[in-house]
Amino acid sequence: MSNPVLIIGAGVAGMTAAVELADSGIKTILVERQETVGGNALDLYKAFPTDDCFYCFEGNRWRPGIRKCFYRSALTDQPNISLRMNSEIGDISGAPDQFSVKLKVGPGYVNPKKCTMCGLCLEKSEAFRLLSPQCQPQAVVYDPTKADDGAKQAEEECPTKAINLGAQPTEETVQVSDIVIATGYHEMQPVNVDEYNYGKHPNIITQLELAKIIDPIGESGGVPVRPSDGKPAKRVMMVQCVGSRDENYYPYCSKICCIFALKHANILTQERDDVKVSVVYMDIRTYDRYERYYRESRNTGVEFVRGRVSLIEPRKDDTLDITVYDSLLDKYLKFSVDLFVLSSALEPSEGTDKLIETLGIKSTSGFVGMVDPASENEVVVGDHIYACGAALGPAEVPESVTQARAVVSKILQSRK
Amino acid sequence: MDDNKSAVLICTCGKQLQLGFDFLETQVKKMDLATSVDVHDLVCQEEGLPKIAELLKASSGHLVIAACSSQKIQPRIDQYLDSKGLDSSQIQYVNIREHSAWVHKDLDEANQKSVDMIRGTLARSAKSTKRNIEQKEISTHVTVIGGGIAGVESALSLSNLGYEVSLLEITDELGGHVRSLPVVAPTGKSGKEILSSRLDMLQNDNNIIIMTKTRVKYVTGEMGNFTVHYTSEDEEERTLNTSAIVLATGFKEFKPTSMDEYRYGKNPDVITQFELSCMLSEGKLTRPSDDKPIKEVVMIQCVGSRSEDYKKDCSKLCCTFAIDNSLEIIERIPDANVRIVYMDIRVPFENEMIYKESREKGVDYIRGRVSMTWEQDGTTYVRVYDSLLDKYLETPVDLLVLSAAILPPDGITELSETLGYAIEDDGHVKELYGKLRRNETRRRGVVAAGGVTRPQFVFEAVTDAQAGALIIHNELQGGKIESVSRGAVLNADDCVGCSLCAQQCPRGVPLMIEQIEDEEADEEQKILFKATIDTLNCHSCGVCQSLCPSGATQLNFLSNDQLWSEIEATLEDAGPEYPITLCFYCEECSVSTIDIVGTRKMEYPANTRLIPVPCAGRVSIIDLLKAFEHGASTVMIAACEKDRCHIGGTGNEIAQVQVDVARDILNAIGWKGERVDMFRMFSAEPERFTNAVNEMVKRAKELGPTPVHEGTAGKWMEVTE
Repeated sequence: MSNPVLIIGAGVAGMTAAVELADSGIKTILVERQETVGGNALDLYKAFPTDDCFYCFEGNRWRPGIRKCFYRSALTDQPNISLRMNSEIGDISGAPDQFSVKLKVGPGYVNPKKCTMCGLCLEKSEAFRLLSPQCQPQAVVYDPTKADDGAKQAEEECPTKAINLGAQPTEETVQVSDIVIATGYHEMQPVNVDEYNYGKHPNIITQLELAKIIDPIGESGGVPVRPSDGKPAKRVMMVQCVGSRDENYYPYCSKICCIFALKHANILTQERDDVKVSVVYMDIRTYDRYERYYRESRNTGVEFVRGRVSLIEPRKDDTLDITVYDSLLDKYLKFSVDLFVLSSALEPSEGTDKLIETLGIKSTSGFVGMVDPASENEVVVGDHIYACGAALGPAEVPESVTQARAVVSKILQSRK
Repeated sequence: MDDNKSAVLICTCGKQLQLGFDFLETQVKKMDLATSVDVHDLVCQEEGLPKIAELLKASSGHLVIAACSSQKIQPRIDQYLDSKGLDSSQIQYVNIREHSAWVHKDLDEANQKSVDMIRGTLARSAKSTKRNIEQKEISTHVTVIGGGIAGVESALSLSNLGYEVSLLEITDELGGHVRSLPVVAPTGKSGKEILSSRLDMLQNDNNIIIMTKTRVKYVTGEMGNFTVHYTSEDEEERTLNTSAIVLATGFKEFKPTSMDEYRYGKNPDVITQFELSCMLSEGKLTRPSDDKPIKEVVMIQCVGSRSEDYKKDCSKLCCTFAIDNSLEIIERIPDANVRIVYMDIRVPFENEMIYKESREKGVDYIRGRVSMTWEQDGTTYVRVYDSLLDKYLETPVDLLVLSAAILPPDGITELSETLGYAIEDDGHVKELYGKLRRNETRRRGVVAAGGVTRPQFVFEAVTDAQAGALIIHNELQGGKIESVSRGAVLNADDCVGCSLCAQQCPRGVPLMIEQIEDEEADEEQKILFKATIDTLNCHSCGVCQSLCPSGATQLNFLSNDQLWSEIEATLEDAGPEYPITLCFYCEECSVSTIDIVGTRKMEYPANTRLIPVPCAGRVSIIDLLKAFEHGASTVMIAACEKDRCHIGGTGNEIAQVQVDVARDILNAIGWKGERVDMFRMFSAEPERFTNAVNEMVKRAKELGPTPVHEGTAGKWMEVTE
């Protein structure tokens, strides 16, 4: 009997790999730093290329239907998957095929198998909350910094005794045969990109922040509002390549920000009331069939300005005056906007550099790189080490899923 | 023990659910179809699971569980029962939490709704049948069509997974386009280098048979038993039996002979980007017209791509290819002057670095379009509009390179006619579901890999092929398939041979088989073809059932009888005083949307009754009309978003047709067609469901009592328009 496979990161890529491996009878340990699976997808509202929700991945072989929502994924109840939430990877030692990995497992305040989401604790204390209706495990989470008497009461009265406020973090060491890196990406916080004033004015936000604002599940019910005062945003400007294609930050192209931005531009102009959108860009990179988003946005009146933003001046009424150099007209143009949205670079998620160093594998601009470039086997990043999804570089959901399957294919091939 | 009757287990969710459980218990006890009623506090927990096992044994498999969403608890329950050796296939679930208690403030109304839905589910349970695990053995042979990088990698992966592979290539050599790429970004290796170790492995692999100069004519059969009809060099047709097929026929470069502005095909010094790759690979780089040295090179991007007249979308690879080739030209001819005319330079991720490198090495980028190409005194000239300078530029060129669009390969439309996969608007093979199921096609057992679905870089095609091999492995399971027989079962005696199921099955499962042995009937009565369905290949949507005119094909977990009796029982108390909206919801996006509405505790009117179906396409016109017959005031179907049906993309379109026809019928018989409607939803926008329900409840109120309520249904009346 071989050792199990360790999957680091339970975003779309990691979950797909875990479920496929489990279906093939291989034991997996799926480690996730956050308190819910789903990774970035949980916050992204609508997906491209299908324009429905982001919250789904494939189902199991033993459950019909071609896809399942996160909340229906029953990851805590799958026999071959051992899900470690709130956990981080420590030291890795041993040889390929028999790695020894230390896991730092965070305090398990709420037992996800016992929580039924009945809502009792949510009424007792603000320390408990439901991260998202789509969260998986389907359980509340507890924030110890908000501990109060209500929380203690909830601990006592919880019908399934799922709450343990005194839980402590633990450490354990697992023996694994293969390691799958599915650590995804992180949206750069452009605080250091001085010209955009990010972090200095509430109405200057990133695309991921915009996604949360226009999500119907959010506070404003999907109405685009200005963070400064909650009033509807009528004029939105987006600027592309913030930190990408920039020698001072990341020289690479982040690949999906144009699609991301235009998806948002189309939602704003077509599905929300009376919003005007301008996009400042260098090249619009809507590869392949994503060109549809560009066509649609031009047809619905999104304004495109090729050039760079040169000046941002906040006004007293919380609007922003923006000066843009238009390289096609060779002119400076002035705009007044309610929301200024930065398409910020996608960078490797935190800890990727350490993982690369510990495992002694290659790096591609900070992301995980393939072991043998001439093979063009992108998912094979070391001996018994694989990677999928945005851990390999900015990737969309379909790519991540295909890569996850390729990883599983490779692992099964190696075990035949 | 009466095997029509079921035990009922009601969960209070740790006594946290706002429902009158005493009322529920009393009401359900009165129901004829209930043998016992138990109210339990924690059905899904350690203390509840043994209770389920106990009840299941006592009621010989017939059990109704009224609790929270089955989407959450069913996997756990199934696993527990499986570990105890108990069959859970007949358990029926009613969601009294997300679909009732959490969304209705009025306790009495929520109670009544829960009772009605339990009654309906009991009726469904009464007619449920046990589903067995079935086994079948199939051959472990897979056919890969196309010997480019994707096909080669597919063959190697499948062989590694234990399958015998026939690799069919139409030309006389393997390697496809990659063979002729001088340099592949971002690794900088040549196509031949990337291929060589793979080709060595192929040659040494005894499980792979390579068949070059082989053309596939057509394919018959189904997953597990396909027959590939092909011709070899001698043009003689042969056949090959196989269990699954990988379609890896790559792509075709657009030949822009019809675009007069470039004079391609007329001037030999005007070539496509791939033709330039071939020249560079062969090592010869001179002017094609006269073999003179090359100095001035102009490349034009988006020739045929991003164009309303040819290909609407971006071809994705051409910018990278152009930059690769321009660097290669500068490498070989240092004083060459390369200019690239573009609209947007599209180089993903690290390919941006070679773009930068090329600019540093002197490749000149002109944002604009070429408006004209002409020859004068043996020299070729182009006229370029530079949109940044707003100026026209005329320049002589030695080589004009067109980055022509990447198009689907020849022959895939013809092959789709017998292989049954769907074709995208742009002519490529259509993926089963663009977000999560890129490798799979509509047809089960047919996987697409590489450029045949969309333009792909080499590494992407390799990944695609590896993933595709996994999909096939999942389907064939090493030749020994063992699965719960859950799906459509066809009774051949009832089949009238209409072939609707075969035409409309979203996954192409039913086959029409010629009836050779049927001799007793006289010629005119004889049915020449009848359908057959392999239940283990079925995706259990029920589209065939809703379309079948004779009831010959039915889902073994939701027969017509089952659904009709559930409709009748659910609507037992429906009447004009309390108009009911009946909602059929698919157990894919719709159940999620309705569950999320519950989790978010979004309220909607309680005079709604919900009935689950595997796919909206399962609901037939008769099902819709039955709902009215039994007293519903309005009827709706909740379905997945357009083109996002979980079962191959067409189940919800079939449902739409059923709704349209039901509406026509209602109008024709003097009811009001607006009483029936269909709504599409997904869980990121839960208000789609509440809006839909509110609309149908409003219509129920406005349209008033139905002829069934008034007792005039079925009686002759003058229809007033």
